[in-house]
Amino acid sequence: MDWYPLYNSLRIAAISGVIVFFTGIFAAYYVARLPRLIKGVLDVILTLPLVLPPTVVGFFLILVLGPNHPVGNWFLNVFNIKLVMTWYSGIFAAAVVSFPLMYRTARGAFESFDETLTFSGQTLGLPNTYIFWRIRMPACKQGILAGAVLAFARALGEYGATSMIAGYIPGRTATISTTVYQLWRTDNGDLAFKWVIVNLVISAVVLLAVNMLEKKKTERWSY
Amino acid sequence: MKKLIALLTAAIMAAACLTGCSIPGNSATTTTATTAAAVELIVFAAASMTETLTKIGSMYTAAHPSVTLTFNFDSSGTLKTQIQEGAGCDLFISAGQKQMNQMDKTADAAVNTEGLDLVLQGTRVNLLENKVVLAVPKANPKNIKNFDDMAAGLKDGSILMAMGNSDVPVGQYTQKILTYYKLDEAALASAGVLSYGTNVREVTTQVSEGTVDCGVVYYTDALSAGLTSVAEAAKDMCGQAIYPAALINTTTHKDEAQTFLDYLKTDEAMTIFKNAGFNAAA
Repeated sequence: MDWYPLYNSLRIAAISGVIVFFTGIFAAYYVARLPRLIKGVLDVILTLPLVLPPTVVGFFLILVLGPNHPVGNWFLNVFNIKLVMTWYSGIFAAAVVSFPLMYRTARGAFESFDETLTFSGQTLGLPNTYIFWRIRMPACKQGILAGAVLAFARALGEYGATSMIAGYIPGRTATISTTVYQLWRTDNGDLAFKWVIVNLVISAVVLLAVNMLEKKKTERWSY
Repeated sequence: MKKLIALLTAAIMAAACLTGCSIPGNSATTTTATTAAAVELIVFAAASMTETLTKIGSMYTAAHPSVTLTFNFDSSGTLKTQIQEGAGCDLFISAGQKQMNQMDKTADAAVNTEGLDLVLQGTRVNLLENKVVLAVPKANPKNIKNFDDMAAGLKDGSILMAMGNSDVPVGQYTQKILTYYKLDEAALASAGVLSYGTNVREVTTQVSEGTVDCGVVYYTDALSAGLTSVAEAAKDMCGQAIYPAALINTTTHKDEAQTFLDYLKTDEAMTIFKNAGFNAAA
């Protein structure tokens, strides 16, 4: 059994997870500070990939990153790098669709954060970056980690946008989701089923992790 | 506040009562019954026929207003699976004999491996012939001029080619071309030079978007998508691309479906097909 799809899916999800982790928490932190109108508009734009069908997201991604379109064309001409039909094209797709998950969860965690802790830190003369990473983040740990795990799981299961922008090139851009579809379509149902089991196991492990994080949160307050 | 709610409720109830009263004259105009019973024909057809069949369909419904045509365009392999899984379908037009044979009980058991009997016997005909071509993106960055260049580029791993997967008729024709050039598809796949599409339109899109260096599609798709086709596959490379059509035996509109199938063979319909690059099947 060719294990490339597993390796590819995991690395795409991991890299996309890291990207989305940082962009998500920074977006959540800064958007909360904006004036109401801009905050509302930005909020809609940043959450849009969550409600859009992944094929719509894939369509937009091709419109931007395709070799016949502005950004893709520029990268091709200047760096000779193709942004589509490569393994890292999947990262764009996975990051875009999983970003709203991290963003919303982080926003929720930050909004339930007790701001008096921030003020106490400021009165003690601590720099804002210290307050963010050493006070706010540990306090919102469960929410942030749950968001990160959900984003990772969503990136792992991404199909629609990935298949449009990365296609299916065995040994190069094949992910578990695109492999299952192609195997099913080419009368390889048995092999497709094996991949389904692999995906089920990974997803179960990921969700178990989320549950354990949630449990820790409730246990903290149960005195 | 309570008074307001009570007032609103009374207003809504009054409005509801009024809508119940209808002027006696109105009811007569709403029951204009059509004399011919409206029939909906569901046609499953290969993706390469999207534009031509849609056009022919609207010509047909203009001449036969009691018939509505619903088309489902996709890879013939996908359509065959859908029919097999119980999708309602009156007429099936495949881009390759294989998919039709897989549902025809009179076909060789080696092809009809699942022993399906879905083709209505006596209705199967060869409708169209298409040509398999090698298409390249607008700029043709890898300067591919013919199938020989394609084969050479695949062998040394310098190009990326889009083809249908083994479930798609055009993919099956491509496999024959690869065999003709003595190339091992599995080896090419693990070398990462093949991009598989799930129907011919996906392959066409990959070529027109320039995300691959070349693709094997039908002549009709290259024409409709405005692609540059650099070479046409000879008969000894992949055989003939014949499109068979047949009624599905679960159809409840046998006569209407047969009439439409007969219409597809008329000169009027064939003109549309020929303008798109098809030929009538010999």
